[in-house]
Amino acid sequence: MAIIEVKNLRKEFKIAKRETGFVGALKSVMNRQFVTKEAVKDISFSIEKGEMVGYIGPNGAGKSTTIKMLTGILVPSSGSIQVNGIVPYENRKENAKNIGVVFGQRTQLWWDLPTIESFELLKEIYRVSYSRYQENMETFTEILGLGEFLNTPVRQLSLGQRMRADIAASLLHDPDILFLDEPTIGLDVVAKEKMREFIQEINTLRNVTVILTTHDMEDIEKLCNRMILIDHGQKVYDGDIAAVKSRYGKMRTLIVDVEENGRDLQVSNGELCKQEGNRKWIRFNRDEYSASDVISQITKTHNITDLTVEEPEIESIISRIYQEGFSKEEVPVKM
Amino acid sequence: MKKIIEYVRLYFRLVGAGVRAQMQYRFAFVMRIVGMVAAYTGTAVTMWVMLYQFEELGEWNFYELLFLFALAVLSWGFCIILFFHFRSLDTYIVNGTFDRFLVRPINPFFHFMAMKFDIGAAGQFIFSIFVFIWVSNALDIHWQLGKILFLFGAVIGGVLVQGGLLVFISAIAFWTTKSERFYWVVMYPARNLTNYPLAIYPKMVQWVTAFVIPFGFVNYFPAAVLLNKETPYFPSYIGYFTPLVGIVFFIVAYYVWMLGLSRYKSAGS
Repeated sequence: MAIIEVKNLRKEFKIAKRETGFVGALKSVMNRQFVTKEAVKDISFSIEKGEMVGYIGPNGAGKSTTIKMLTGILVPSSGSIQVNGIVPYENRKENAKNIGVVFGQRTQLWWDLPTIESFELLKEIYRVSYSRYQENMETFTEILGLGEFLNTPVRQLSLGQRMRADIAASLLHDPDILFLDEPTIGLDVVAKEKMREFIQEINTLRNVTVILTTHDMEDIEKLCNRMILIDHGQKVYDGDIAAVKSRYGKMRTLIVDVEENGRDLQVSNGELCKQEGNRKWIRFNRDEYSASDVISQITKTHNITDLTVEEPEIESIISRIYQEGFSKEEVPVKM
Repeated sequence: MKKIIEYVRLYFRLVGAGVRAQMQYRFAFVMRIVGMVAAYTGTAVTMWVMLYQFEELGEWNFYELLFLFALAVLSWGFCIILFFHFRSLDTYIVNGTFDRFLVRPINPFFHFMAMKFDIGAAGQFIFSIFVFIWVSNALDIHWQLGKILFLFGAVIGGVLVQGGLLVFISAIAFWTTKSERFYWVVMYPARNLTNYPLAIYPKMVQWVTAFVIPFGFVNYFPAAVLLNKETPYFPSYIGYFTPLVGIVFFIVAYYVWMLGLSRYKSAGS
């Protein structure tokens, strides 16, 4: 039985049409016209317990709207949702006990109080037993390193510390499902890396199902084995990341440092896409040639001093999917 | 019952946190109290200047007028403590921070209300208690048990009427996103109106402040009972309905707020 079951989910908003200028403004006050915008149109998916799923799409694709419906904040226009057997918008409070939510941009902690107080208040709100609270705080202090700032007011925390505190806060009541909305936004490289380790650890340690929205494809690559890609409120891809990579990631980039000998570098089995002094970037299709084919061609004219082969970033694959659309014959969409 | 006790316990926990948070800004806190006492004293002085000329206003003398004013200030003080957070609801909706109250397993109205406990209202208490003592001496009011109980009920009613209006106005934000201007258009005039006995206003205005936005019950009707004043157009016992009016008005406001919330959940912001 899937822990999250979404079928034909739709959400439309009525937006008051505004006209420009004074007369236009007057007109829209007198005679309000509404435009219906479909933020989510017909999305279905199911997620199993313990999965880590990346829910991604460009701005305005409908990510947050979906998350809001899953958490019970918004009521869908049509379609059905079950989260852990509960319909979130009908039974918001029950659903709230099973889920943890972190909005990366907005803290849920008490801004002016020492961090520990937020945990104590959430313990009361979620009615977590004293012993369970103690156990959880111990675990989180250990893996999230909360100890160093528990007595610091939230407003004085660094963004990385605040995010760690927010994640701990969302897990205090042992939710089965964790919704992370941009958990690494604004963090530096080290803090991001740490954050990913925590999420990974929580997932393995407690078998918490994680749904993650992000703009950072590294989050997805390092954390999730499955991604749901949406665009204009519709699902464009749902499946494992390796499959997308193997279909769309045929292109490899060979980066070589060559000794200068006055001759231009000629490659027929790849495309010279960039060069900076002695360093050349050559893109080639992995299905047609191997890296050694390309290398041996270069060595005919130049001495290679150093080389690396780059795999394509998931980011560039996704932007290609958005540009070209996803042809369903190539990768079957997992339903 | 068990649930109510738990909510009360949680209320005090949340409120305690709110107070500690405010104490982080001690200077602002003290200045607000000083500012409030000064502002109300200013209004009282204006009354005195005016009454110095006319001696009476709608058959209310200076001390009676002061009593009327202090009663409104007292219940407004409690109202600020309990319900003032609702005034910032629209900011939460605009910033998207309101969602936080919807992902937790408790009543969002309760949660929002308990998030802030504005102890800055000490200014209102200092002013009104001082005035009550002064006026009681001047008018020779004897506070027997009955009168004390009546005052108690009147303050509860007044708090609920004013709190209800705050809740009402805040709920507008669920439809329009912004509600601040309604505060200035409805709440502010209603409160200013009740600085003076309703008897001086046209019948229509009196009628509206009794039955539409029942601010007459905040101070005029109960004060008339306590001071044995006449209430033209209204029966003399109308002041006794104050707690009931407060409760009914607040319940209506609560349901409007919940209706707004369900509208917010289906339409977003």
